[in-house]
Amino acid sequence: MLEVRKISKVYGEGEARVVALDNVSLRIADGDFKAIMGPSGSGKSTLLNIIGGLDTPSDGEVVLGGKRIDNLDENGLVEIRRGEIAYIFQQYHLLPSLTAFENVILPLLFRGIEGKFGEARRMLARVGLEKRAEHKPSQLSGGEQQRVAIARALIDDPKVLLADEPTGNMDQKTGGEILDLFKQLNKEGRAIVMVTHNPEIAKHAREIIVLCDGRIADRLNNRKENKV
Amino acid sequence: MKFYRVVLKDVWRRKRRVLFAVIGVLIGTMTVVGIFTITRAGEARMLEQMEKYGPNLTVMPAISNVDMQLGDLSLGTLSVGENYIPEEKLLQIREIADSEIKEIMGIEEEGDIATLAPKLYVNTRIKDTSVMVVGIDPLPELNIKTWWRIGGGEYLNSNSQALVGAVAAELLELKEGDPIDLNGEKVTIAGVLEETGSDEDYQIFVPLPTLQQAFDKEGLVSSVDIRALCNACPVVMIADDINNLIPGVRAIAVQQIASAEMEMMSRINRFMLALAGITLAVGLFGVGNTMMRSVNERTKDIGIMRAVGASQPQIMKLFIYEAIVIGVIGGIFGYLAGTLLAYGLGPVVFGVSAINPIPQYFPLALGLAIGVAVVATIYPAFRATRVKVAYSFRSL
Repeated sequence: MLEVRKISKVYGEGEARVVALDNVSLRIADGDFKAIMGPSGSGKSTLLNIIGGLDTPSDGEVVLGGKRIDNLDENGLVEIRRGEIAYIFQQYHLLPSLTAFENVILPLLFRGIEGKFGEARRMLARVGLEKRAEHKPSQLSGGEQQRVAIARALIDDPKVLLADEPTGNMDQKTGGEILDLFKQLNKEGRAIVMVTHNPEIAKHAREIIVLCDGRIADRLNNRKENKV
Repeated sequence: MKFYRVVLKDVWRRKRRVLFAVIGVLIGTMTVVGIFTITRAGEARMLEQMEKYGPNLTVMPAISNVDMQLGDLSLGTLSVGENYIPEEKLLQIREIADSEIKEIMGIEEEGDIATLAPKLYVNTRIKDTSVMVVGIDPLPELNIKTWWRIGGGEYLNSNSQALVGAVAAELLELKEGDPIDLNGEKVTIAGVLEETGSDEDYQIFVPLPTLQQAFDKEGLVSSVDIRALCNACPVVMIADDINNLIPGVRAIAVQQIASAEMEMMSRINRFMLALAGITLAVGLFGVGNTMMRSVNERTKDIGIMRAVGASQPQIMKLFIYEAIVIGVIGGIFGYLAGTLLAYGLGPVVFGVSAINPIPQYFPLALGLAIGVAVVATIYPAFRATRVKVAYSFRSL
């Protein structure tokens, strides 16, 4: 349902020209779980940003549900971000002035929905933070902040979750808890694309895409291995 | 939660930065409100003065200064002319004033129309203090000085009485019934005037003949105030006629002085308004600069909001809302500070002590402050809408 076809991303011109992605193609089916791995600077985050419409490719197409989204204008992309695709970042990216609850309802606010605030409580409860709803991000641990970010991503009931190193700032135990949450969300039928450095995390995905110098260097299918 | 709450919370978190923008708006608004308030008070005072003295003329002895020269050498000036007006001239003055008024107003009956209040000024010492004693004709004087109120005692009833200005009474410790000695002539204080805020507070008033006798000035007065009965009366024409027909005196209509003063004041006003405009422009740049910095600092926040579904107009709205918050705070405090400024500067600039806060300027101040803040924010807010989500997180 989400497909990138032969995309490239080039930054700068002349001598400063950097090719971040080079002819990358990828298919993300409904309910898929993909991990993107690779060394720093291999283009992982750029790929994720382009998949989600946060960045535009220099060449190639991004197709979501049969429609191209790489050539959408800002207004079109806003619609994609409202409900179709949601992001989870390594740095959580919560607004520091708002409480956990307020951060979670932010997407609803931008969509002009005011009646569904009970849903935000439900989402916070789902990630185990119902008692921390009135805390500001600065009063929460890294794991808790990431849970808030996940609750915020879920509030719009997106079909695709894009996560950029979601456990990168966490110890093993907390990272494991967050990963369990992702697995649960995947079981519910949401497609997940996760950028990670950690092979332990990546092995939970159905497929691992290994990027190197902007190209897909390897594709590892975990499904069989998991079954074995 | 409403949209504006997001803005308020963010403003609260960044209150120091916001405060700078508020101060920019505040100073501009304060200057405008201050100037308007002072100007209004100045005009009010001027109108009040016109009300008091509008239909009046003052006639004084004509004294001209002659430059003394010997060759190219200047030897200073010499005042030429009389120091007093002989009382006979009062009749001529009355005749001219009355006939002009009668002609203009179409009055045919005989009889006096204008009020003539002659005065004789003498500087003397009472209780070892130098005081200005004014000889007056009690009834016409009271006609002209409609604002006189007797604080203690009564008005002048006989030639052996005196009336004391409020400050003079206090300084000289005089009260009703006290005797004073005027160059050997004994008078008793009949009453003390309430404070009027003018020179009168420092003076002592006695009937004209009493003062003339005490200082050997029989038949002489220093000046004559003329009240022309009506606001439409041709005071300037009367003044011209007196100047042309009676030698040795000079008549000035108060209106002439007032209009010159008015002209001066409106020039000062225009100048100060230009200053206020500059202050506002500086405030505009201050707010614009602060907002631009705020956009740069909040690139990440803007990116987050864009990533969770904020549209470009919504980002614009966030910044405009913030500008409105800045404008409202700046406007409220700018109005208060401007009024205080007027209290402080009014007496210095225009000699206006009766400054009143003018509530009508509050909406003006608020509108001005919000306007400045919003205009200053438009460009930074536009820049904020151009933030690219993917790049906004790079700065980490």
